[in-house]
Amino acid sequence: MRELHLKPIEIHLDSNHKIFALPYGKTPLCYLAMLIKAGSEKDPKGKEGLTDLWAEGLTLGTKKKSLEELIFEVEKLGGYLEGSAGWDFTLLLISGLEEKGSNLLEILSEIFYEPDFPFHEMEKTKERRLSNLLKLKDDPSKMADRLIWIMAMEGTPYAHPISGSLSSIKNITLEDILHFHNEIYPQQRCTLFILSKEVKEVLLEKAKDTLSKLITRKGEEEKTSETTPSTPHPQILILDRPDLTQSQIRIAFPSLSRKDDRYYILKLMNYLLGGGGFSSRLMERVRSQKGYTYSIRSSFTSLKTCGTLIISTFTPTNTTYATFEEILSTIEDFIKEGPTEKELEEAKRFFEKSFPLRIETPKQLLNEIILQETYDLKFQNLFEEIEKIKKINIEEIKLIAQEILQKQKMQVLIIGNSEHFVKNFETFGNLQLMPYKDVSP
Amino acid sequence: MRELLNFRRYILDNGLKVLILEDHRFPILSYQVHVKAGSRFERPGITGISHLFEHMMFRGTSRLGPEEFSKIIQSRGGIVNAFTTQDHTTYWENVPSDQLELVIELEAHRLKELKLDEESFYTEREVVRSERKMRISTTPYGAALEELFSLAYLRHPYRWPIIGWDSDLRNLSLKDCEEYFRLHYAPNNMVIAICGDVAPEKALDLICKHYGDLTPQKCFHKIEPEPPQRGERRSVFKKPVELEAIFWAYHVPGIDSDDIFPLLGICECLSGGRSSRFWQKFVHPGKATEVRLVADPPPFWPKDPGLLILYAIEKPGIPLSSLEKEIEEEISLFKEKGPAENELEKIKNRLKASFLRGLESLFFRGLVGGIYEIKLDGFEKSWEILEKYESLKAEDMIQVAEKYLHEDNRTCIMVKSISIEENTKFGLIE
Repeated sequence: MRELHLKPIEIHLDSNHKIFALPYGKTPLCYLAMLIKAGSEKDPKGKEGLTDLWAEGLTLGTKKKSLEELIFEVEKLGGYLEGSAGWDFTLLLISGLEEKGSNLLEILSEIFYEPDFPFHEMEKTKERRLSNLLKLKDDPSKMADRLIWIMAMEGTPYAHPISGSLSSIKNITLEDILHFHNEIYPQQRCTLFILSKEVKEVLLEKAKDTLSKLITRKGEEEKTSETTPSTPHPQILILDRPDLTQSQIRIAFPSLSRKDDRYYILKLMNYLLGGGGFSSRLMERVRSQKGYTYSIRSSFTSLKTCGTLIISTFTPTNTTYATFEEILSTIEDFIKEGPTEKELEEAKRFFEKSFPLRIETPKQLLNEIILQETYDLKFQNLFEEIEKIKKINIEEIKLIAQEILQKQKMQVLIIGNSEHFVKNFETFGNLQLMPYKDVSP
Repeated sequence: MRELLNFRRYILDNGLKVLILEDHRFPILSYQVHVKAGSRFERPGITGISHLFEHMMFRGTSRLGPEEFSKIIQSRGGIVNAFTTQDHTTYWENVPSDQLELVIELEAHRLKELKLDEESFYTEREVVRSERKMRISTTPYGAALEELFSLAYLRHPYRWPIIGWDSDLRNLSLKDCEEYFRLHYAPNNMVIAICGDVAPEKALDLICKHYGDLTPQKCFHKIEPEPPQRGERRSVFKKPVELEAIFWAYHVPGIDSDDIFPLLGICECLSGGRSSRFWQKFVHPGKATEVRLVADPPPFWPKDPGLLILYAIEKPGIPLSSLEKEIEEEISLFKEKGPAENELEKIKNRLKASFLRGLESLFFRGLVGGIYEIKLDGFEKSWEILEKYESLKAEDMIQVAEKYLHEDNRTCIMVKSISIEENTKFGLIE
């Protein structure tokens, strides 16, 4: 494609860290992101949310500036600053007007090297997080997303919400944060991304200077063996909320890790099943033909050591079981027949032709390359995806669907007014019914 | 940044307006059809019809089956969707640029040969009722927000929700849809915006070929203006929630007023980011879970006088009544002193950066041009946005705060928590 001859500047430093810079974008904005290759999977048991809290802690003030001074300085430059964890990475992101790029980098550097983790700010942040969890409990859709993830990932290092839970957040102390900061994080490799309409030499030099100060201590070689969820299957959890007129339905299956060679087959299969909007089987059957829901989708997450595929929808209370049955029947047909030749070709064409739309803005591209870097993939891999997808055939899709979408490995979560549908689910499997109010976020 | 929004305008003989903006950075483009058909053009009894009709536009034509429109676009590497607001309905496709003729042909085709049948209609009506439950009934504060609008407006159509009342949705008929389509989907009531890798002359030829034979019609619709509010209105909304909340709505002018920029400046000053006054005063010290003053920035600011919404979500253990008092004090302080000099610089930079982030995408640029054209008959007014942010003055912000953020102009709803048992006496929220 003519406009996609991107030439990133990649600088590998002696300290084992890296700088990735790319002139990109239409407007005078600048994005600086520090990627640390350790994420929420490092959270100790009982202190889930630690990595994410540490990441936010980095933005709560430095040795030289209070939180108030720091944030005001960033926002005055038209910027925003956030520190957050992913499953396998942590990201410190600062963005603002391009003309202020040097100032933004200075701030990032200060945050990175001289964080203060003030006790009173850490405590307040924990308090805010606890309130936000209560707010989240009021939203059955968000709660469903959170709970199905935990069910799907049980037995793996990922079986908790990134932000932690009401009980785990309370357990995290400042000592835990400082231990993480002093012992865990220095062992990780970092990459500094710079995406800006123009990448000036002076900014690059400053970036080199910033990262060269960071010395990685040699840690133990990380073991990344595959993990498998351990919950008895299938399991159905129904959370009763009598005031709801619509049920949330989530169905999860164990899936592939990111390093699995069949990753792209999974990606294509997911599009055909439920990731492809109106071009997907689930949307066709459950929404277009039956009118049971406004939205149904499947999505998959492939992490360092395992993955999951989750089907998400909602439907009025009286069609809860019918919707569940229709989903299962759609899956069954899909496993049996696979996609048609036409469906497969159209899906492949979608991935090929829509590629520029997926990386149009600097933020979109940044999100993509962060994932590449997290899983040690080269930048070029982003562009090779299309060729890999083009080679996939129907048999491969059927095989992966058969392997992943197994009824006996399924986890089901329903939140709704259960008296209208609980009986239907009783014969289905290992059913547990409990009041929604008893579930802690 | 004018070049990022420098559309060429063409008007066909049938009144159809076409905006085209060239940008050849990537081989993609955004194609958008903006129709003057939003909840503003509805009446009690048929609320929600604009949005339901938007759904019907995907349910097939003389030669396309239900949702086939979307499938074709996706199969060519495109993304397709639509949305309905109070003022307009927008259909859009972001596609590889070699698919321009296809989208023009398909969009024109569904205007000419839309298939409206009973079966599709009833299926889609249930889909929309499910969407309503998703947006309103099963969210923590959706139903309260809906009540806020219907309490703040006595006459103007902004008083009902875009998605419509459930009782109206249940009674809408196919005949209502046919009538609505006839009244609003005329070429002289639409703007097409194309933004991206496009050759303007060629695109215009294709549009003339496919849309040229559409017949214009009189699209007259009288909108009842909202009388000035003559004193505060208050109400309580009870439902089972973990956290109680308050919502305030202030009447503010429509998008054609210059006051909207200082108003956005006030929103930014009070609740934009962690350095904002509300965050520092209430969220940071743990007095509230969230406090924000929000408005839709251009181009989404409403055409007619709209509402500036302030909401506060409690922190357990801190009574909302004391929070309310402190918020009022904070607003009074702003009216008295306005933003400090360095605060003003921050406000300007944040507003500019936020708008620039949007302009990175062709889709957003198409929306800015198309929506300004449909709301204000001139996309050129969007050129002023960055300049208006840059020239914000403290005294203007104080003046508009005095003018709009006062008690007589305010409607309040307090969301009070009740038990599930107590809730049964009210019945379910539909």
